[in-house]
Amino acid sequence: MPKQSVIFETIYHEFKVMVFNLALHYLQNIEDAEEVTQDVFVKVYHSLAHFQQKSSYKTWIYRITINQCLDFTKKKSSRKRLYLFGAKSENESEYLNTSTFEHPGILMENQEAAVQLFAVINTLTENQKTAFLLSKLDGLSNPEIAEIMEMSISAVESLIFRAKVSLQEKLAKKFTEYRKKYK
Amino acid sequence: MEKDQWIQTVLNSTNGITTVMPSDDLLAKIQLKIKQQEKVAPTTVWWIAASIAVLVTLNVALLQKAKTKDNSTSSYLEHTLNQSNQLY
Repeated sequence: MPKQSVIFETIYHEFKVMVFNLALHYLQNIEDAEEVTQDVFVKVYHSLAHFQQKSSYKTWIYRITINQCLDFTKKKSSRKRLYLFGAKSENESEYLNTSTFEHPGILMENQEAAVQLFAVINTLTENQKTAFLLSKLDGLSNPEIAEIMEMSISAVESLIFRAKVSLQEKLAKKFTEYRKKYK
Repeated sequence: MEKDQWIQTVLNSTNGITTVMPSDDLLAKIQLKIKQQEKVAPTTVWWIAASIAVLVTLNVALLQKAKTKDNSTSSYLEHTLNQSNQLY
């Protein structure tokens, strides 16, 4: 058991930033990202004994993080639906304020544009969002993304291409609103 | 033109993004969660095992009771039949 704890702590220190930042890009909320990071490492701790080294720790942890983020988003949206039908809570703004996220790692002069980008990223399909975030924000190569998402490289290329096209189309629609607001 | 420029600005707004550090007490929180789960797990297992044992005992007891009742009913029938259905 102590040996497992040592390995776990080494893994934690090596991948904590990676997990936290991917969760932050995915969920666009610091508290949610911390919660998911905790859940990811609890899962890593419990699965460590069964890890078969078929992939690298990095790939394995990326997969766990993506799955935890997807689960968290689903749970949150179902809670949101419940809230809409049920009594109003004090956390109303927390549930409805996801599209105004200001990423603390983005340059000050780009913040306003990044808010628009994150809002549009959330409208992509799950796979397109994952592939786009891994490519654009985590800076992974297509073969690395393919391994994480357990897809072919051409499938990943296609996902990223479609994500970019979709983002451009949606941003084109947003431009009209933007113009009305600032002109 | 202006539209395309704006779209490109938005798409490139994440250029130069820096990584964000999680809070310092995150590892402590994770370790606490792990400990709590480890504490809960054996108790839960014992509760489940105890519930199953109680259910099995109840089932066996009920089955035995039903069997005894069945036996006594059939022996009573045999007895009355022997008495009332005499061939001589």
